[in-house]
Amino acid sequence: MTVNLERRSPVTLKGRPAKTEIRDGWRIVSRYSGNAQGPHIIDLSHFSRWDIQDDALEQVEPYGSKIPAKPGQIFMDINLLIGRLNRTQAIAWHFAPEKPVFPQTKAFTDITDAAVAIALTGPWVFDLAEKLCALDLSEPDKNPPFLVQGPFSHVPCHIWVLHHEDSRGCIALTCSRGYAGDMVNGVLEAGAQWGILPEGEDRFRSWMGW
Amino acid sequence: MKRIHKLPTFRIHPEQSLTVNFGKKQCRGVEGDTIATALYANDVRIFGRSLKYHRPRGLYSLDGECSNTLVAVDGVPNVRAENTPAVNGMTVNAQNVFGATPEFDMMRFMDELSWIMPAGFYYQTLHKPARIWPLAIKHIRKAAGLGVLEPDFRMKGKFDEVHISTDVCVIGGGPAGMCAALSAAQQGLRVVLLENRPWLGGAFEYRPSEYRNGLALYQRAKDLSKDVENTTNIRTFKNTAMIGSYNNGLVTAFQRGSKSEVFTERYMEIRAKSTVVATGCIERPLLFENNERPGVMQIGCAHRLARTWGLLPGKKAVFSIGHDLGIEAAIDLADLGLNIVAVADIRKDSYDSNLAEELEKRNIPFLSGWVATRAHGAKTVKAATISTINATRHRKFTCDTVVASAGMTPVTGPFTVAGGKLRYDKHTGFFLPYNMPPRMHIAGRILGLDDPLSIETSGRVAGLKAVSECGIPVKNLLRETQENLAKLTGPSRGTKLVSGPIKGKEAFICFDEDCTLKNIDQAMHKGFDVPELIKRFTSAGTGPGQGGIPGHNLPLYIAETGESPDRNPRPTTVRPPLVPTYLATYAGTNHDMSKRTPLHETQKAAGGRMERIGVWNRARRFSSDKNAENEIDNVRRNVGLLDASTLGKFRIFGPDALKALQRVYVGDMSKVRGDKVKYSAMCNEDGCLIDDGIVVKIGENDYYMTASTGRAGQTIEWIRYHTRYDGWKYHMVNLTDAYGVINMAGPDARKVLEKVTDADVSNQAFPFAGYREFSIQDVPVRAMRLGFVGELSYELHVPSSYMQSVWDLLENTGKAFGIQKFGLEAQNTLRMEKGHVIIGSESEQRTTLHDLGLGFLWYRNKPEAKTVGAFALKDTEHQKGRLKLVGFKMRDPKSRVPRDGSPIVDTRIRGYVCTARYSTAQKQPVGMALVDDYLSPVGTLIKIYEDGCRGNLMLAKIEPMPFYDPEGKRMRS
Repeated sequence: MTVNLERRSPVTLKGRPAKTEIRDGWRIVSRYSGNAQGPHIIDLSHFSRWDIQDDALEQVEPYGSKIPAKPGQIFMDINLLIGRLNRTQAIAWHFAPEKPVFPQTKAFTDITDAAVAIALTGPWVFDLAEKLCALDLSEPDKNPPFLVQGPFSHVPCHIWVLHHEDSRGCIALTCSRGYAGDMVNGVLEAGAQWGILPEGEDRFRSWMGW
Repeated sequence: MKRIHKLPTFRIHPEQSLTVNFGKKQCRGVEGDTIATALYANDVRIFGRSLKYHRPRGLYSLDGECSNTLVAVDGVPNVRAENTPAVNGMTVNAQNVFGATPEFDMMRFMDELSWIMPAGFYYQTLHKPARIWPLAIKHIRKAAGLGVLEPDFRMKGKFDEVHISTDVCVIGGGPAGMCAALSAAQQGLRVVLLENRPWLGGAFEYRPSEYRNGLALYQRAKDLSKDVENTTNIRTFKNTAMIGSYNNGLVTAFQRGSKSEVFTERYMEIRAKSTVVATGCIERPLLFENNERPGVMQIGCAHRLARTWGLLPGKKAVFSIGHDLGIEAAIDLADLGLNIVAVADIRKDSYDSNLAEELEKRNIPFLSGWVATRAHGAKTVKAATISTINATRHRKFTCDTVVASAGMTPVTGPFTVAGGKLRYDKHTGFFLPYNMPPRMHIAGRILGLDDPLSIETSGRVAGLKAVSECGIPVKNLLRETQENLAKLTGPSRGTKLVSGPIKGKEAFICFDEDCTLKNIDQAMHKGFDVPELIKRFTSAGTGPGQGGIPGHNLPLYIAETGESPDRNPRPTTVRPPLVPTYLATYAGTNHDMSKRTPLHETQKAAGGRMERIGVWNRARRFSSDKNAENEIDNVRRNVGLLDASTLGKFRIFGPDALKALQRVYVGDMSKVRGDKVKYSAMCNEDGCLIDDGIVVKIGENDYYMTASTGRAGQTIEWIRYHTRYDGWKYHMVNLTDAYGVINMAGPDARKVLEKVTDADVSNQAFPFAGYREFSIQDVPVRAMRLGFVGELSYELHVPSSYMQSVWDLLENTGKAFGIQKFGLEAQNTLRMEKGHVIIGSESEQRTTLHDLGLGFLWYRNKPEAKTVGAFALKDTEHQKGRLKLVGFKMRDPKSRVPRDGSPIVDTRIRGYVCTARYSTAQKQPVGMALVDDYLSPVGTLIKIYEDGCRGNLMLAKIEPMPFYDPEGKRMRS
């Protein structure tokens, strides 16, 4: 007996999906109905992520791309984000619709299932972030994209600041998968005053210009 | 009470009325009123009664500086009526009143008994004979405290929090603060401006006096406010009270939500590179007999009452002041219709003679060198006596209002809480900083400045200093602005008189604690000679006003007496929170962040009783049976499924990964293989057990390891810490959440597994302690044969996203074998019957590996220095007098189960019960305990003490462990 086993995201967003698809076992919402301004919360947990650790990170080239030289820097390409965490560690995030090939070198560990990943996009996302995070995500000296490590809603997170224009922008968050429920609840509660809504991955792609 | 017809300074909308219920009285107010002004407009003069003597209390400052106007609003006690907007339909009740209204308080006789309650009377009396103290304390406690909170009260509202990062934080939205903010913003910096009142403008905001070129101060305030609000890089937070500042640039505050806000209150943490304090001044109260009688109020209170809310403070008033603001207010209030019968000024000179002339033009007597000595009237002011400073002349005036103030005092709390030091300045009469905290600057009236241009320029100087600290070169501009300031009028000369010629019996230095000047004298006669001690002995300044009213007068008065060894007035220490607020505000939204396993929702839906275990939510059991006997029985007879996803899981790899493992594990990790799990333990430097788990080799220099649930968060740091000097090349990845874990245990476990995988899982192919990687329906699974619950058992590590699907598959497949879920309770009993320990249950911080009987895990041939805890393990191996882990059975098999944690005693405590449960296998209660080693031999009788047992100790006998399947045949089968 062979059955296709479903993969489940740790995130459950209440909304009316307008377009869904099954991809690599994941049921993915591409778009929710309604076309409100946002801010929006988008589940990105199904995208492949790798932890990359090596003493010579400069020699590791995930999908042919260079890992940024300094901690906090992000390399951004179509369907690919690579963020440098420290001297020996980086995170690569692949957004290709088709399942990417797992890099078969020891430096890589598949951490797709280790973390919940959400994006916050649209207006007021930085105001929303201020309610949950004491880190300075709007520091004028830092030009997006950049990566910050620290607590968001009291939970250790990787915070990927991808766009920032006035109070509009796009922030992606990853933290331990087990916190998904409370993290999403915290974000929704904090964003309720601005009418935060769930959105599908199409909205994220459009923010990223992919 | 009729309001003044429209003024340009109004903050009310008289066309929109509202009703506030004060006790049984309906008070009509208007939009923009505070509770206090709405009540005042309806002739309410007594807002409540004082703490100790039940004296009538009324409006005094309008800024909530004391407890006079604390009221209960819709069940919430101690609401500041002066700062709280009136809302249509709200119910307001006076506090500390025993009777129908605050006018008629049955406890008012306490005022007559004040003579038997000198300072610190309860420290000295009611102790002898000792038996009266419990009775006395009961009644003192009943009488003490302000406001009543019902035990089942639930705070309504939404309490939020916000964390703001900025370049410059300006505390105080007066002219100096606004100029500081604008100066910083003009340089492109991010600025946060905090203002306690609902509007900007500070001391300019309500005053019609000339700023310059015919422009009134209030108009200037409006212009500045507009500039601030139009500057996009200034974030202004009104209704925001700063409560703390710290020398790392952290400023804390809380904001009261207005109608347009979604929060009731919110807690704010602002991290700034530089801070400007421009909090201005409050008035220093003038002390005279009955100086807190309703009808006595501060200058700003009387003036703002009229200018902001359109209410004259009374009909006929006496002014007793020590600052030009008092004369200015008297002139303006007289023009607005208040009958002022006299203005007494404690200053003999240094007042503005132009202002004095203006009084004369209005036929208002101006008495320089005079001061109020008594307010008359039982409940409210009916008259006032003033006298010359040297008491040679007295005059009494009939009046209903006494506007009184001894002068100004700067609001220094915002920088003293950050470590700023104050020194008395004889010219201004202020406590001024001689040592400011780093990256903090002051500006405005706080420096003693009164001239509007000087105030604004000082703000610009402070703003530019802050800019400079943010790394922007403004040296020339700063120097130029400083030179401009030097050319302007400097700080005004202030007064230091606290009181006129009075006895002080009813002159209150602290309204909140009913503390009089006489009480201060009494404390000094008892030998308390410095403000900090007197404050504690008399309670002066320890009330809800946070020392605002007595803060300046207390040290001045003590210095004046000449009895203190410290002749320099020295203020008492203030501490955060500078302004009290609700605990709900500090709690904020309080998101309880906990972790859920991938199976959480379905476990809960299946009746799982979820419990918080550390950061995780886990299912304790799946039925109402607290012992989970069915679940235990099913694992012993059939097969059960446990969600063990909370186990810590890690990958460690790199050329020196093995060395790191050898360092932290007590076992010989060089023997770890790819097809077999190695169980080992980690100890701390004291040889005490801190973690256990399995390690398996998944590749060359590549290992997969587990840690206990509670320890998973620290594992990586622990290993890194203990290898920090070695420069080893290895890497670690925390996979705790990446994999879910299904523990399938029971004699039929293999039958279920065989049906879902093509892999050979027979006992020969996959024996006990084996490790295999195979697929379940194409899902890659890491599988281990373990025996924690004492049965044939598989631990399946499944990618988290597949966990629910794989669990469902196993559950469906296992139906034929009677598969059931089991929870932590069942697991706890099962493993206890097997004698397996859980760290934290059978161990504590002093329990070594040897104490638990796990010394065999320690591999002695590793060089000691290389294994954490090895030295201590060697030292404690044969140490006498240690607690040892033992198994026990109750002497009477029908006895109930002793509670976990119960002490084991003889003449003293000899240990404690770690875990005890009813064993379905043994048909009697069994347990594990840590006991003194001399009690550990099998057969020893131990006595268990339980809370409330009244000497009836439970008896148990030490028994060999494990209680179940001692040869381990079942888990190896």
